[in-house]
Amino acid sequence: MILAQRGRGGWENNSGRLCRAAALLFVTVALATAGCSSNKSQQPGANGANPNGGIGSEGIGGNGGGSLNKFKNGENLGGNGPLADVHFGYNDYTISDQDGAVLKSNAKWLQDNPGKRVQIEGHCDDRGSEEYNIALGARRAQAAKDYLETLGISADRMSTISYGKELPLCTEQNDDCWAQNRRDHFVIQGS
Amino acid sequence: MRRLIPVLIPVIASLILFPLLMGGIGAADELPALQVVGAGQQYKIATSGLKNLAGDDQGRISSSFAITLARNLKLSGYFKIIDPASYIEKPQDSGYDLGQFNFADWSSLKAEFLVKGAVEVRNGQVSLVAMLFDVAQQQRMMGKRFTGSTADVQEMARRFADAVMQSITGKRGPFDTKLAYVSTRGGRFKEVYVSHLDGSGAFQITNNPTINLFPHFDKTVHHLIYLSYKTDEPALYVVDLNAKREVRITSDRGRMVGGALTSDGNRIVAAIEHGGYTNLYLLSSSGNRLKALTNDRAINVNPAVSPDGTQIAFCSDRSGRPQIYVMPLQGGAPRRVTYQGSYNTAPSFNPDGSKIAYESREGGRFDIYTIPTAGGNPIRLTTGGSNTSPSWSPDGRYIAFSSTRGGRARIYIMQANNPNIMSAITEENGNDTSPAWSWWLGE
Repeated sequence: MILAQRGRGGWENNSGRLCRAAALLFVTVALATAGCSSNKSQQPGANGANPNGGIGSEGIGGNGGGSLNKFKNGENLGGNGPLADVHFGYNDYTISDQDGAVLKSNAKWLQDNPGKRVQIEGHCDDRGSEEYNIALGARRAQAAKDYLETLGISADRMSTISYGKELPLCTEQNDDCWAQNRRDHFVIQGS
Repeated sequence: MRRLIPVLIPVIASLILFPLLMGGIGAADELPALQVVGAGQQYKIATSGLKNLAGDDQGRISSSFAITLARNLKLSGYFKIIDPASYIEKPQDSGYDLGQFNFADWSSLKAEFLVKGAVEVRNGQVSLVAMLFDVAQQQRMMGKRFTGSTADVQEMARRFADAVMQSITGKRGPFDTKLAYVSTRGGRFKEVYVSHLDGSGAFQITNNPTINLFPHFDKTVHHLIYLSYKTDEPALYVVDLNAKREVRITSDRGRMVGGALTSDGNRIVAAIEHGGYTNLYLLSSSGNRLKALTNDRAINVNPAVSPDGTQIAFCSDRSGRPQIYVMPLQGGAPRRVTYQGSYNTAPSFNPDGSKIAYESREGGRFDIYTIPTAGGNPIRLTTGGSNTSPSWSPDGRYIAFSSTRGGRARIYIMQANNPNIMSAITEENGNDTSPAWSWWLGE
């Protein structure tokens, strides 16, 4: 089942949250309210769409320390929390023995901190095709998730996301830089 | 009341977003100079101004029409525009139809073809007549009458440019269309823009400090789909270009990687990742899953729908390396198309579906190739820089693509049968990538 949602972050104001924001911003309370209620009454989950649907990052529990958020804020993407990055070969998604040791250490930390969840970000170097790299980054993230699961970390404590080649750590064109960019990055979530 | 509702929604949306987005480009004469590289034999054409019959006393309509027409004809690579400063005859001092002007005034400039016309503006309504003449034969080849608002004049010129190409080359031109692309011109963030090929009418579709990728039109050019990370969770967005609103499409059991619209805009072919594997699904326009098109432990991305709506091309690494495949849109067994090269991605169909353009990576850079959809020998079209994301024009003559040949990534168009003839379409700051050339806007 695929869910659709109108208006989140988009042009059309279907959710009460965005409409209230519009009212606050523009003090056109009457107009905004009219628009929202009209819209809702006309399209209550139109075409089978669920107006509260989608998995949204809220459902996972915030993404403040993630690479996308750092990128938005103009922060350096480098640096790990308690969990170290693992790295991959060109157009590859297998976990090396060396990175298996990193994942064992990451698994230990997760076992010691049972209240924490982790989002695993898959990243690629910038030499591949954009869309293919998003799929490749997803494979890399899944490879680490599968590995951690074999080490006893429950799958429901882990989520994955791919940023393809969109969020490089390093932008120079050389082997060293490409190798740094082909990575899984681990973002701790939850209190 | 029912009639009011659709009006209210875009009004509110426009309050929030449109003032930020209207960094558009106005008249064609504000656009940067156009350079067509490698052009060979070209028709010499004069694009006279329009005779003012009423209401165009400043000549603004005439100038906008003539400049836009000349720009699009030049962009085609088929024409050399005779410098308007050299024109002997002034539109106001002569007629615009056979017998009302002197062909000698144009043959003396070595013009092979001539465009003349007239304009009448009443209460903001423009009525415009344009005609194409064969100077040597002293014959009228074609004429068209347009009516609309003053805001439609450039559109009339693009439509007439396509008709001029039809008359002279036997095939309609591809400029009454739109180009969507991704650009970082606004700063660090990839945003989706739409403009015409001549650079006018630029409109920023997305404005969020995240990542926006892969714009594709449907064939009606009423809708545009793109992928965005604007809510952290990557989702597809289907924009209604007329209503200026969009629908967000996500999956409850996988992550959106990319997508394309079917020709009628009523369905989506989405690449959705689940458990590390990415497969293609046919969705309704509201995101309901209709059918799994692929079901592999592999990567299947870059869906492209043929203009006749019957087949899709896509990239799959099911063989171990990314290669181009085709399959029926309704589902069925995929057939591998590319066998040369070890990294072939981003397919685009030509208008009749007989050929596919794609990008192929070798030695750290990409080049654009074409190959018969039925299979056969690939033909390389580009050299120099990295050349990516081909998108075929609706007349089949051109391929738009992104290239770093000049340093920054910019959008270029080249002739599919003579790729040395090439024009840069975008000249802004930042990197311009992922061009998508729409079908024709008018009939």
